[in-house]
Amino acid sequence: MRAIVVLLAILTMPSAMPGQQRWERQVQERVQRAVAAVATSSPSAVVKGSGMLNTSEASSFKTTLIQGTSYAIVAVCDDDCSRLQLTLLSPSGSDLAKERNSESLPTLHFTAQATAVYGIRVVMEGCRWNPCWYAIAVVPLSKLPS
Amino acid sequence: MASLKRWVLVGVGACVALALAYLPPRGAKPSGREVLFLAQSRRGTPARQRAQAVADEWRAADGSLRLLRARRQLQELLREASAGTRGSSLVVVSESADVAIATPPLADSAIHVAWRQLGLGETKVKVAVIIQWATLSAARDRPLSEEGSYAYLAPDSTDRTTCIAVVSLVRYWTRVFARDPRVRVQVPFDVVVQSLKAGLGPCAFYAAYGTPGKSVRGWLVSRGWDLALTLDAGARGRQANSLFGMADPRYGWYWEAIYSLPPTAVACLASRPEGCRAAVLAGASDDPVIPVPDIVSMDRRWWTRVPRLVEGGRFLGDVARAVGRDRFLSFWTSPLPVDTALAAALKRPVGEWTADWQRDFVEPIRLGPVPPLGGVTIALLIAALAVAVVAITASRRQVR
Repeated sequence: MRAIVVLLAILTMPSAMPGQQRWERQVQERVQRAVAAVATSSPSAVVKGSGMLNTSEASSFKTTLIQGTSYAIVAVCDDDCSRLQLTLLSPSGSDLAKERNSESLPTLHFTAQATAVYGIRVVMEGCRWNPCWYAIAVVPLSKLPS
Repeated sequence: MASLKRWVLVGVGACVALALAYLPPRGAKPSGREVLFLAQSRRGTPARQRAQAVADEWRAADGSLRLLRARRQLQELLREASAGTRGSSLVVVSESADVAIATPPLADSAIHVAWRQLGLGETKVKVAVIIQWATLSAARDRPLSEEGSYAYLAPDSTDRTTCIAVVSLVRYWTRVFARDPRVRVQVPFDVVVQSLKAGLGPCAFYAAYGTPGKSVRGWLVSRGWDLALTLDAGARGRQANSLFGMADPRYGWYWEAIYSLPPTAVACLASRPEGCRAAVLAGASDDPVIPVPDIVSMDRRWWTRVPRLVEGGRFLGDVARAVGRDRFLSFWTSPLPVDTALAAALKRPVGEWTADWQRDFVEPIRLGPVPPLGGVTIALLIAALAVAVVAITASRRQVR
């Protein structure tokens, strides 16, 4: 089963776009590998965001999470990034969960108590060659029996 | 009484000797040599000054507009370049009188060689160079463009990964690149490469080390990137980039060149670490302000600007070479104040390192009150004479 997931992940991986920079390709490949590693069934995750940040800069995204579903939220960054902080925000904007210990591959696990639009904030805490590319993915893991 | 007269005569004689030594003779005429006022130029009439000021404003606005227009136009070109020339993040375009033209092969080749010599290949920040060729017939509906001026648009004012450099070539270089037969002297290819390498200016730093941290960037912006004019200035002493670099201590205008510099630069020339530190860290602030759009304009003609530090344009390039890439990157992206970050990268106080660096270019000068050699000689002779007179007088008055 795991082999099939990895194969599917590879097949769904976008080929390197012409004109795409090396670092951008790097994070796209990494996020696909991370999704393949955390997904338990089909890798139906949607990469919710990617971009570049200089040291100490932050970026936020909105995503709708479904009530009763468990999610893994994964962030990856390029080789020059040394620390990335990932925070899940409630619909009202307060911090729900924060991951800042796993350096360049922070991951959050969360089960939504209600269907709503949540926020995800990424902070580039350490980048030795600015800007650093990053990508985040929200991976639905399982839906709790209702 | 006779003894008193003798003493009076000795005193008057000494005064006459001093007067002869120090006072100019009556009716003395000036030597006729022109005094060179380096820091001043002739001022025009008020109307002329006003016209110049308006022309300068027009040029600044036109330069900014050109950069912002290029920001839009270059995107497609950059995408094509990235797809076509894998491994290089440099794009070169040319224009003459606002019309795009093909870049002459010599210029295109030279700038790509410069890019490789700087050790740049595929970089996080791409560089788009717009070479503006001087036009031989000037348009009459606008001020003459400032030849030899350079402008840069920082990546944060484009798509965050592209630095734009606009290089306005002077007529001489335009003729060199166009292989104009009027240029009789063959310019060596490495001189052309060096010239275009310098033209990359701050964009070369962005390409090599990425976007600097806020404190370093604010510091450089506040002083017009004068410490980072070129990433690789070549061998030391190869060319004089300042008035001081051309000055010769054997001539009188040497000191005029020195005193046209700011006091901190003069102190640094005298190897005073506190002066060097002040010259380097001027503009550093705890709360740096970065303008939007972030446009850097500079005039590389050394005779039009007064450097804050002699050979300062190569300072950060030399720091980078001295400390190595990793330590320089730590400084470049550091959130710490510039003073702390630079001292950490250098592993020495900034003033001391800079004083040593400065000594590599110029022999340290002596500052402070120093008596002239002639004055000292005369004073010693008078003192010796006085001692001799006293000794002789004393020996004659001995009671036997």
